[in-house]
Amino acid sequence: MADPCRVKEEPAVGVEISDPSQPVKQEDGETSSTHTQQSGVKEGDKTVLSKDAAGVEEEEEPHSSGQYPSPAKKLKVEPEKKKEKKHKVDEDEIQKMQVLVSSFSEEQLNRYEMYRRAAFPKAAIKRLIQSITGSSVSQNVVIAMSGISKVFVGEIVEEALDVCEKWGDTPPLQPKHMREAVRRLKSRDQIPNTKHKRILFH
Amino acid sequence: MAEEDDDPGFDEDLDDVGNGVDSGHGRRKRLFSKELRCMMYGFGDDQNPYTESVDILEDLVIEFITEMTHKAMSIGRQGRVQVEDIVFLIRKDPRKFARVKDLLTMNEELKRARKAFDEANYGS
Repeated sequence: MADPCRVKEEPAVGVEISDPSQPVKQEDGETSSTHTQQSGVKEGDKTVLSKDAAGVEEEEEPHSSGQYPSPAKKLKVEPEKKKEKKHKVDEDEIQKMQVLVSSFSEEQLNRYEMYRRAAFPKAAIKRLIQSITGSSVSQNVVIAMSGISKVFVGEIVEEALDVCEKWGDTPPLQPKHMREAVRRLKSRDQIPNTKHKRILFH
Repeated sequence: MAEEDDDPGFDEDLDDVGNGVDSGHGRRKRLFSKELRCMMYGFGDDQNPYTESVDILEDLVIEFITEMTHKAMSIGRQGRVQVEDIVFLIRKDPRKFARVKDLLTMNEELKRARKAFDEANYGS
């Protein structure tokens, strides 16, 4: 059960100051580096532990296979070490999160609660997907799609907050911030677009 | 800032009816207004985000879901959307990939727990 907490709560670590414009920078850098780590090698999860609240990635954990003498031995020992390390990481992580959340101010608590609780209504998402496919979809698809959409919203809002801060504006995000955020994300290929077909060798 | 100071109450009415000037999907009723507001606050925006920003986000989300659905329909089993297809499409994006994996794992755990609970109840 701790696994989901780890992934979900990572981004929230950056929200520690009531001034929303500030933590976003840390949040953004931390989240992207965290999740790049997580999706890569599972052993790399140890870095999650060592990450301090400032959101700076302290140590890039070297791939643990480098410590082992031979590849055959590595294959045998790795799964056990992996499970043990992951278990330890989860416990420490939970504890750190508890310490962090207990020190939140009221405004931060509100925001954190909204962050965890906000979700897209499953019925509406299911209706939307079914209206596109024309056939019914399984529950898992709806769960996956709502989850991804929430992450998508998060990426845009974080980018928009970056833009807002960079342009010297204050929080309630304006459409111009959103559009600039979308433009930036598009250039990084994080927004899918199949409308414009690019011809390779023209 | 002038555009937003234009009497937000009036704008909200327009949006409900379907102001299609800015947004392409304006004719559709707003599906996620409430949830998106909470989400934006959770992710760092102000407690009362601008309605126009919420609208832009809603259009983006709907477009995102539409694109993903179309892509998923074109790979794997044609014409159907399956979880494996979504996971495949998302594989390059570490954040989303990890999130989907966790959600599905958690769902399985919950289902197992509920089943075990029901069986325990049935036994006693």
